[in-house]
Amino acid sequence: MALLQHQKSRNALLQILYVGVLLALVVTAALTARHNLQAQGILSGWNFLWKSTGWDMTFSLLPTSSSDPYWWVLLMGVLNTLFLGIIGLTFATLVGGLVGLARVSDNKAARLLGTIYLEIFRNIPLIVQVFFWYALANRLPSPRQAIEAGGALLSNRGIYLPGLNIAGWSVAAGFLTLALGLTLLLWLALARRFRRVPPVLRRRRGLAVMLVTLVTLAAIFFLGHTPGTPLLTLPELKGLNIRGGYRIQPEVYALAFAIAIYGGAYIGEIVRGGFIAVGTGQTEAAKALGLSEWQSFTRIRLPLAIRAMLPILTNQYVWLIKATTLGIVVGFADFFMVVASAITHSGQTLELIGILMAGFLIINFSLAAVMNRINRAIALKGHQNRS
Amino acid sequence: MTAIDTGPVPLRATPLGRIRKDYFSSPLSTAVSLLCFGLLLWIGWVLLDWGVLRATFSAEARQAECRAAGGACWSVIANRWRLILFGLYPYEEQWRSALACIAVIATMVLSCIPFLWTGKRIASVWALGFATFYLLMKGGLLGLPLVREEQWGGLALTLFIFTATAIIGMPLAIAFALLRNSTLPWIARTTGAVIDAVRSLPLISILFTCAIVLPFVLPDFVLQEKLYRVIAGSALFFAAYQAEIIRGGMQGVAKGQDEAAMSLGIPYRHRVARILLPQAFRNALPATINQFVITFMETSLVVVVGFFELLSSANAAFGTSEWTFAFVEVYVFVAFLYFIFVFGLSRYGAFLERRMATGQR
Amino acid sequence: MTVPAISIRGLQKYYGTYHALRSIDLTVRRGERIVVCGPSGSGKSTMIRCINRLEEHDGGTINVLGTELDDNIGNIDEIRREVGMVFQHFNLFPHMTVLENCTLAPMLVRKTPLAEAEAMAMKYLEKVRIPDQADKYPGQLSGGQQQRVAIARSLCMKPEILLFDEPTSALDPEMISEVLDVMTSLASEGMTMICVTHEMGFARKVADRVIFMDRGEIVEEGSPEDFFTAPKTDRGAQFLSQVLGH
Repeated sequence: MALLQHQKSRNALLQILYVGVLLALVVTAALTARHNLQAQGILSGWNFLWKSTGWDMTFSLLPTSSSDPYWWVLLMGVLNTLFLGIIGLTFATLVGGLVGLARVSDNKAARLLGTIYLEIFRNIPLIVQVFFWYALANRLPSPRQAIEAGGALLSNRGIYLPGLNIAGWSVAAGFLTLALGLTLLLWLALARRFRRVPPVLRRRRGLAVMLVTLVTLAAIFFLGHTPGTPLLTLPELKGLNIRGGYRIQPEVYALAFAIAIYGGAYIGEIVRGGFIAVGTGQTEAAKALGLSEWQSFTRIRLPLAIRAMLPILTNQYVWLIKATTLGIVVGFADFFMVVASAITHSGQTLELIGILMAGFLIINFSLAAVMNRINRAIALKGHQNRS
Repeated sequence: MTAIDTGPVPLRATPLGRIRKDYFSSPLSTAVSLLCFGLLLWIGWVLLDWGVLRATFSAEARQAECRAAGGACWSVIANRWRLILFGLYPYEEQWRSALACIAVIATMVLSCIPFLWTGKRIASVWALGFATFYLLMKGGLLGLPLVREEQWGGLALTLFIFTATAIIGMPLAIAFALLRNSTLPWIARTTGAVIDAVRSLPLISILFTCAIVLPFVLPDFVLQEKLYRVIAGSALFFAAYQAEIIRGGMQGVAKGQDEAAMSLGIPYRHRVARILLPQAFRNALPATINQFVITFMETSLVVVVGFFELLSSANAAFGTSEWTFAFVEVYVFVAFLYFIFVFGLSRYGAFLERRMATGQR
Repeated sequence: MTVPAISIRGLQKYYGTYHALRSIDLTVRRGERIVVCGPSGSGKSTMIRCINRLEEHDGGTINVLGTELDDNIGNIDEIRREVGMVFQHFNLFPHMTVLENCTLAPMLVRKTPLAEAEAMAMKYLEKVRIPDQADKYPGQLSGGQQQRVAIARSLCMKPEILLFDEPTSALDPEMISEVLDVMTSLASEGMTMICVTHEMGFARKVADRVIFMDRGEIVEEGSPEDFFTAPKTDRGAQFLSQVLGH
C-alpha cells in the first residue's frame, strides 16, 4: 500500500500492469487460436505459402492459374488493390478537383451544380453506390446487342475498348515509360533548383524529354507487336462473344467508377476547404500588384490551396485505398478478397490475418510517406501568418 | 484581363444587377451558367419524367404494366417495403420494429438539443432510447413474444448496429484518447500502436475477422451471437477513429486549464470529467458528428458478413424473378433512406460548425 | 514556535540539460509577503510552480506547512489544497459560469455542500468587487475582471498560502490597478503571499521582502527599501535601471 502512495512506483506499476494485461490477452488469444486450429488439423507455419491454391482468380494483371502457389496469388491481390486504388484515386482526384473548383467559382450556377453533386454522392454509402453501378453494368445488353460508342462496345460482359496488338510486357513497359516521362517533365517544370535556368533552355530540355519518351514508347510497341497482325484492333462481335480490343470487366469499372464518384465528392470538399484557407489578403495583394485573374489563380491561389489541402488529402487517399476492399461484394479479387478466400480454403487463419494487417500497414504507410514527402517538399518555409 | 475589377457597382443593389453579377459577369461565366442550367434542367426533367410523370405507383402493377408506362416502377416498393424496412421480422410483430425505429430516431433528434449536452444527460438519453429499442425488438416481456436477433433485419437492424456501435464505441474512444495522452510513456505508446493498427485496417477486414474467423479460433465462452461480435468489431473501429478526434479536441484545451485545476487540488478523475472532456468535446463536436455520419454509412458493410440489414434486404426485395427488373427503383429507395439520415445529420453538423465559428469571435 | 509556511533547501531543477534552478534556499514565515522579481528566464515562475508541484523538482527539499513535498501522492494533494495559485493567463474554466468556477473545487475537494459553497463564493466575489458578474461566463468579462475571479476562485479553497505568477502581465494597463488593489487588501489581511511580478510600486508598498533572481539563482534579498534604493549587487542594479529607467 505504501508503494501505491509513491508516485514513481505507482506509475511504474500502472505501466507494467497495462502492458502486461494487453500482452497476456494477445498471447492467450493467439495460443488458444493455435490450439483450436491444431485440433482441426491445421498446423501453423508459413509452408502453405508454397502450396498451390486450387482456385482461380476472377481478375489479375499478370497470368494466374489454379496451380499457382499462395504467395503468388496474394501478391497478385496486392497488385490488384494497387491497380484499382491508383485508378480510383486518379479519377476521384480529377472529379474532386472539378467539383471543388465549381464550389469556389464566382459563378452561382456552377456552385449550385457542384453542391448538388456533392450532397447527393457524399450522403449515400459507397457500398450502395457500388451495388447500383454493378447491377447497372450487369444489365447492359448481351454482346450481340452491344451498344457501340466511338469504336468501344458496351455489353454486360464488360466494356471493350480499341487496343493495340502488343504483348502484355510491352503494355506494362509502356505505362512505366510514360509515367517516368511525365514525372521527369513535372520535375523539370516545378523543381526549385531549375528556377534560374533560362526559359529557352528549359523548353529545350522539356522537348528532349518528350522526344526520348515518345521514341522509347514507339520502340517498346514495335518490339512487343505481335507479328502479322494490324497494330490497332477494334473490338468486334465474333459468334456469341466480342473479340479484339481491351476488355474491362464490369466489376472493375463499376468499382472504379463508384470510388471515383464517391471519392470525388469528398475530395471536392477538401479542395474547397483548401481554397477557403487561402486568405483574401493574398488574393487582394495579387490584384493590387496587377496580376490578372488567371495569373493570380495559377501563381497565388492554386499553389497556396494545394499546400493547405495536402495533409487532409493524405487521409482521404488512405481511406479510398481501403475502400477497394469493397471488391468482395462484386467479386473483384483485391487483396482482402484473396486473403478471405485463402482463409476459407487453407484455414491458415492466424498467418493470413497477419499478412492482411502487414499488407495494409505497408500500403497505407508508403502512401502516407509519399504524400508527406511531397507535403514537406512544398510546405511553406518557416511559420507563416495567414489572414 | 483588367487588373482591378471594380464590378458593376451601381447595379449591385437591384435584383437584376445581382443576377447579372452572379451568372453573366463575363462571356465565360455566361457560358458556364448556360451549361450548368442546361445540365440541371435536363437531369431534373429526366428524373421527373421517369420518377413521377411516367411512373407506376399501383401495388397491383407488375413488369408488363410498368414497361408499358415507360417510367419508374414504384410498385416494387409498394409491394416490398415491409421486407426492406423490417427484413424477416415476423409479419404480425412488425409494428414493434417500426416503433423501435421511431424510438432510436427520436433519440438521435433529442441528442441535437444543446440542453442535453452534458455527459450524464446525453448518456441517459441514449441508454433509454437503446433500452426501449432492445425491449421492443427482442420482446419476451410484457406479453410481447420473443424475437431472436437472427430474425431482425432491414432498417431496424441498421439502426441497432449503429446505436450499439456508438454506445459501446464512445466510452472506449474516451478511454483510448486518455490513455494515448497519458504522461506515462509505455501506456501512451502501447495504446497508440493499437489505435494506429486498427485505423490502418479496412473496416471490412475487421468485420470479417470478428464474424467469420473468431469462431474458429477462440474458446466458446467468448463467442456470443455473431451480431454482437460484429458490433464489437465495429465499435472498436469507431473508437480508434473517434479517439483521435477527441485527442484533437484535447489539444485545443489550454495547458493552463489542467494546471489551474491541479493547483486547486482537484483530483485526476474530476479534472478529466469536469474540465478536460467537456472542453475537448466542444472543440471536437463538428468532427464527431462527421464521424457519426461515416459510421452510419459504414453499417451497410455488414452485408458482407451476411446480415440482413437495409441494403441486404433491398437486394432481396428485387431478388425474386418477379421483380429483378426493378433494381433501380429499389436502390433509389434505399439510397433515399440513407440520404435522409446522413444528409440530416451532416447538415446539423455544418450548422453547429457555423454557430461555433461565429460564437468564438 | 510554529513551523514556517514554506521552507526550501537546495532546490534544483533541470529542463533536459538546461539548469533552470541552481540550489535555491528560501524560508517564508506565516503571514509574510514576498515579491520575486528578475529578468525573464531567471527561474522565478519555475520556482513558485515547484511549490505546488506543477513542476517536479530534481533535487533539494521543499517543505510546505510542515508537509514534505516528495513523491508521496497524499502529500502532494494535501499541499495543493492549502496552496492557492493565480496565473498570468487567469486559466478560468471557460465552460462554467463565474460562480461555478468558484464552487467547483470546494465541492469536489472539500466536499462542501452546494448552498454553503455558493454562499462562500459570493462572499469572496464581493471581496474582489464583482458579485454582480456571478452568472456570466469568463469569456464575457474583461481581463481585469477575469483575474479577480481567478483570485476569488483560489480564495474559495481557503488556502494558507497564495502564489501569484505574474498576475498582471497579461492585462491592459488600465486594468492592472484593479487587480493590484485586491492583492493589496489581501495582503493587509495577513495572507501568506509569494508574488512574481514586475510591478515595483506594488512591491514597495506591500512586500515584507523582495527576492531578486537571475539565471536560476537568488542573487539578492532584502527589504524593499534596501533593494530599491541601494541594491547590493551589480546585476540587481542593472535590472532595476532597466525596469525603472523608463
